[in-house]
Amino acid sequence: MQVEAVRERVYEGRPGFPAEYGPDRQGVQPGYPFWPHEAYRDLVIIFLLCAILLFLSAAYTPVVGPSANPAIQPFIIPDWYLLFSWGLLKVADVLPTCQPPSCQIPDGFGGALNVDGAFWGDVLTLIPVLPIFLLPFLDRGREARPAKSPVRGALGLYGIAFVFFASLYALNDRLLETWPFLTDDTLKVFFVVPPILVGLAAYVGLRRLGYRDMYWWLVAALGAAFALILASGFWAFAIGPWGLDGIDPWTRLLRAFGDPRAWPTIVFGLIPIAYTGVVFYATAALRERKAKEIVLVASVIALFATVGLVKWSADANPAGTYDALRLIATNGNFLVALPFFALITFYVGTRTPYSTYEYLLNECYQCGKCHTVCPVTKVEDDALGGLNLVYNTFKKQHDGVPLWTCLACDACSAVCPLDIHYSDYILEERSKAFASAAEAQARSGVPAEAAK
Amino acid sequence: MAREPLLGRLNRKVFGYLASRFPPTPYSDLTRRGVETIQRQMPRSHAEKYELKTIWYWYPLYCLGGISFVAFIILTITGILLGFYYVPEGTIATDPLTGDPTSGAYRSMQFIMNDVPFGFMVRGIHHWGAHVMIAAVFLHMMRVYFTGAYKKPRELNWLLGAVLLILTLGFGYTGYLLPANDLSRGAATIGINMTKASPGPAWLGHALTLLVFGEADPTGFYIIRMYWLHVFVLPLVATLLMVVHMALVWIQGVGEPH
Repeated sequence: MQVEAVRERVYEGRPGFPAEYGPDRQGVQPGYPFWPHEAYRDLVIIFLLCAILLFLSAAYTPVVGPSANPAIQPFIIPDWYLLFSWGLLKVADVLPTCQPPSCQIPDGFGGALNVDGAFWGDVLTLIPVLPIFLLPFLDRGREARPAKSPVRGALGLYGIAFVFFASLYALNDRLLETWPFLTDDTLKVFFVVPPILVGLAAYVGLRRLGYRDMYWWLVAALGAAFALILASGFWAFAIGPWGLDGIDPWTRLLRAFGDPRAWPTIVFGLIPIAYTGVVFYATAALRERKAKEIVLVASVIALFATVGLVKWSADANPAGTYDALRLIATNGNFLVALPFFALITFYVGTRTPYSTYEYLLNECYQCGKCHTVCPVTKVEDDALGGLNLVYNTFKKQHDGVPLWTCLACDACSAVCPLDIHYSDYILEERSKAFASAAEAQARSGVPAEAAK
Repeated sequence: MAREPLLGRLNRKVFGYLASRFPPTPYSDLTRRGVETIQRQMPRSHAEKYELKTIWYWYPLYCLGGISFVAFIILTITGILLGFYYVPEGTIATDPLTGDPTSGAYRSMQFIMNDVPFGFMVRGIHHWGAHVMIAAVFLHMMRVYFTGAYKKPRELNWLLGAVLLILTLGFGYTGYLLPANDLSRGAATIGINMTKASPGPAWLGHALTLLVFGEADPTGFYIIRMYWLHVFVLPLVATLLMVVHMALVWIQGVGEPH
């Protein structure tokens, strides 16, 4: 009895309700011809690659350099793709070492384990390498798109940033030689702070790409950034290198205003703190559109103020400028990185993804449930000809009928196994159409009534 | 209900696992038919077949694996040409004319750069081709990661790719140890020290060092080991793995963006 009742309601295959949705299914799907479509593209890529290689080898011919000499310990830099391992080998001196005479860690073969920098370098090199091998077994999820699996995307960018800063640390002696106001400890903290900031910003941006409201994430992240930069500023001004003389912070700050050597430090230190504070305030307290304007203005002002002040102050007060640069560079993980983090996170967290609903409609695998429940197709005469509102709109094959006959009843979204909000898409398309029509009328100067 | 015997269940599990990943398709027949057809056509991808709105900016990144393979072919050709002139002789001797240290390998490098017609160009293409290949491999791996192309059924191919990445880095490392210049010696020193310090018992690191570099201090003997790794062992293994890697891409299809 129930089976008959269900069969009664099945419209598939009846007039107007074809059993198959989508393009005609054939045994052989015709593709693009190999010649010339695919071959041209491949040849262009190959020729371009050959041209680049010929140019590079002619213009930047690699020199052989002096011969290997056992008498000289050369100062070398390995090729860029091995720098990460060398950087990890260099940073390994922060880890505890243990040589066989002082400690006896048995290696299980009667000897003792030599826990030195090279040992830690080997172990640390495994940190970026092991997850690569374990990846397909760690991540068993179905979602392939970064916007749908933001944790994976953020972890990936975190890893890339980690490898980049590990490679950067391999050049630490060169960097310290070039910029003497940097310190080695600052470069070591680069292993920790900037990759985390990159990962966090990527997470916020990817969630936003998946149409999530990121307000509270932004408030939390930017609030934490502001608190951190305040703490860093307090450390730099009060208890850091400046505070070793035992004078209380306020006295020193007040005294510093009278000291021409000190004021660049205060000004340059305050700019990133104030900027981060403005971005945080705009995010938390203002509407999104207003916040975007404020952040844009603040970014331009902060950029020009910093560049202009450094340039002007370098001539007027070189000693004070050097002090300021040293102070800011020493706290580079916070005073320099956090304003950029605030700006980038704010941007990616509030931007409007440009390919709006098409991105979400992509999940459709054309099961046809939406068509089965759509009430319009049951009453419209057009529908008897096989009109499929959702599918035609999705393929942009409609002539305006699906867009304007849709009731926005949301029955399709209710049955959609992938939770695609089709009527939201319809409403947005309609508002876009109205907006462009109104714009065209305003431009032509013809009133709406007269246009009809 | 009688349970199926354990061996039968195990058989079904194992062959089911394999069949769901590597379906038994007659590839030789398909190849023959493809070659014999006058109108040869590439199969349409899933996205093309169903006219999905894919994200266009992923597509240029899909040529990175191919670029690294093309670079590998260019490296093979230029490497064969360089092999006609390169001498893997790393023992350091004193140059009788200048009194500076030199070696057979270093002299042959100078010969390639200064005397062989277009030798500097061939070596330059080999040098920059190596950089391009490694960069392409890195970017290819990032693309595969961010489009989630390593997921089922392509886990094995991801592991093959990870092995190929390490082999490519091995190509780079063994390659720039060959010219017997100061960079070669310095990098060999770092490599030998890190191999000696391999996690585990002390004899293991020592044995590994002797196996890979042939000596515990870089006196120049390491050049011949690096040479055979660079021109025989690594190309053999890497070419085989690359063929399997690309065959699996053909069997399992390209992991498309959505």
